[in-house]
Amino acid sequence: MIALRLWTPWLLILTSLTQSSLALAHKASDSFIYLDSDAGELRIDVALRDLALLVPLDQNQDRQITGREVRSQRPAITRTVENGLELSAESGVCRLQGLDWGLSRHSDGRYAAARYRIVCPDGDDPEQLQYSLLFDRDSLHRGLVRITSDSGSTLAVLSPDRNTLPLTSGSSRPLETFTAFLVEGVVHLLIGLDHILFLLVLVLPVSLMAQDTGNDSMTSRMVRLAGIVTAFTVAHSITLALAALKLVTLPIAWVETIIALSIAVAAVNVVWPVLGRKTWKLAFAFGLIHGFGFASVLGNLTSGMSDLAVALAGFNLGVELGQLGLLVLGFPVLCLFSRWRLYQRAIVPFMLLAVVGTSLVWAAERAASI
Amino acid sequence: MTIFSVNTKGSRTLLDPCPATFLPALRGRAFWIGLGLAGLLLSRDPLQAAPSPIQSDFVDDTVLATLPDTPPVPEQLPTTSTDLADRVQNLIGKARSTGDPRYLGYAERLFQRWPESPLNDRLLVLRATLSQSLHRFEQAREDLTVVLERSRNRQHRIQARLTLANLETVRGRYAEADHQCRQLALEYPGLIAESCSAQVAARTGDPEAAYRALVTLLANGETERSTARLWAEGTLGDIAAQLGRDVAENHWRNVLSASPSDLYTRVLLADWHLQKRHYQEVLAITEGHEQVDSLAVIRVIAMLRSNHPEQDVLTRQLRERFNEARWRGALLHQRDYARFLLDVESRPEQALEHARNNWQSQREPLDTRLLLRAAQAAGNRDTLALLRQWLEQHGQTDARYPEAAS
Repeated sequence: MIALRLWTPWLLILTSLTQSSLALAHKASDSFIYLDSDAGELRIDVALRDLALLVPLDQNQDRQITGREVRSQRPAITRTVENGLELSAESGVCRLQGLDWGLSRHSDGRYAAARYRIVCPDGDDPEQLQYSLLFDRDSLHRGLVRITSDSGSTLAVLSPDRNTLPLTSGSSRPLETFTAFLVEGVVHLLIGLDHILFLLVLVLPVSLMAQDTGNDSMTSRMVRLAGIVTAFTVAHSITLALAALKLVTLPIAWVETIIALSIAVAAVNVVWPVLGRKTWKLAFAFGLIHGFGFASVLGNLTSGMSDLAVALAGFNLGVELGQLGLLVLGFPVLCLFSRWRLYQRAIVPFMLLAVVGTSLVWAAERAASI
Repeated sequence: MTIFSVNTKGSRTLLDPCPATFLPALRGRAFWIGLGLAGLLLSRDPLQAAPSPIQSDFVDDTVLATLPDTPPVPEQLPTTSTDLADRVQNLIGKARSTGDPRYLGYAERLFQRWPESPLNDRLLVLRATLSQSLHRFEQAREDLTVVLERSRNRQHRIQARLTLANLETVRGRYAEADHQCRQLALEYPGLIAESCSAQVAARTGDPEAAYRALVTLLANGETERSTARLWAEGTLGDIAAQLGRDVAENHWRNVLSASPSDLYTRVLLADWHLQKRHYQEVLAITEGHEQVDSLAVIRVIAMLRSNHPEQDVLTRQLRERFNEARWRGALLHQRDYARFLLDVESRPEQALEHARNNWQSQREPLDTRLLLRAAQAAGNRDTLALLRQWLEQHGQTDARYPEAAS
């Protein structure tokens, strides 16, 4: 019985705990670090509650931190925060030159905030950020970092296991990004059967304008083809950019369904031009929605990237190159076939039917997942 | 002129006699419709918003922050393993009564800094409890298994057994949970072991009998310590709610009056009243607990539904808190966020994603109901079918989720 009395209190704590632990959450301990790489400035916000672990903020021990107490501890606060933060360049450790100091607010209350100019030896740009404040006390503390530059901003999280963040700099990176995304663009166009089918139904009619236009048939075909391809390109470039820069977000399941339907509609339109015979207009209208489709792929690849603009340009150019490559190889073949009567009378209708069928099946599948 | 014909009623001209202009002018209606649509859906990422400005002219006498009742953790490591265990146990208790994960971080850091290994049985049980709180279920299970295999100390064995039984119940592994409850009954017969088995029986098709048996035991068990009685009351509350009986509230009120800091029970009670549309009760129960996400989300839903004047303030606060949690990534509590997305933001697709992730780790009735509701709101038949199959497989029925009926 004695044993029981001894252990029951701790049983009480833990039994309730085993249940309660799973149901609850509360704002965890985070510091916020904002790095403006163009201006060479850094701002750090640390919760007063957390700082009180490291600096004797509550001097009169009344568990309340007043403005006076914070102000009187300013030297200790800045010293502590600056010790937990290190920026370095190839030439050595950078110095933090204070610009602004005071309080700020986040979702769980007041933070001590300071803004600094980053001064690295030889005027270099900082190459890495190391953060270690509070890690020795609270394994769940995190440094939430946002790096802003003219090409956009990236988020990162620093933890006891990963307390160093390389800062993107130097000139080779953008080129690598550009090339990598160029390749991604080409690959995506080539493996994305829906874009290819759409392109096919757009150019089919052009390839068939053979007999009647006489001598200048090739020139006029090329003019027409260029018009369609340009309209498609311009349209999907616009929406790709809008989506990639997060100015517009559409639910991807809807986008994919509409893309599938657009193929069916474009194929039907070849035979019954319900949407008019100006194929370039069709190419433009549906190109807008195809852009959102490209963007969803791009979005998966670029999450957390800094030079989004470069990636976007590379990817877009890749898509165009893929498209052009396909046309250069495929269009002459289609034109060649168009001299063949069986092709016009049977194969093309059959192809269109197959395209309509496939795309309707896709549309149904994709709509089902909405 | 005819190029080919599919239409038997007459051949159609495919081509425009005049070639298309080389560079089409951008005055097609489609463009403006597309752009207009895009503009309508214009949305900016809140994480890119500018931080609040730095304010330097704050007043000396303003209270800027209030520290918790406990003095801050001393920096020095405890000297003996008993001291360490006491400190960790205290921190875990703090985390439980406040919902603040900082205490779990302090406790984990103490374990990391502790040079002595291997840990003794008591420390292993504590570490398992900590791991469970941080959703590291496998690690928790490992530590508990070690204690159950090697420990000769009855107290530690019981504690490990009960923790493991709870872990399995919460995970929805009812066969394993039942086994642990039976083992517990052998080592420590009484209300706690009976509550353990009743909980599992109720979730696997037999709530009525489980409830009746436990009520009788509680009435006859006057001699049991209050800990065990409260444990049984909490379990009875849960089973009564599952049966859709109003007496659930009485059971939970009994627990809360003895232990007001039991946030787990508070969440269940607040949720119960929310589902019954007793919004004034919800506001009273959740008042002063806005820092605890689960309670704050229930509170804001009650505010929205009763058109409370302060609904916008709390919605904004929660939105900011969840945005910060999203930035942080890992420790985000998915149940609360999913519920917020579903009932406050009306974004069923995203709610479904988080409710599904949450259900992968914990399958308490509130988790299951949330996933059912999110799947229904998002029209996701696959998830609904999967859930119904799971419920059927365990024979689980719950008055709190009418959505389970197909």
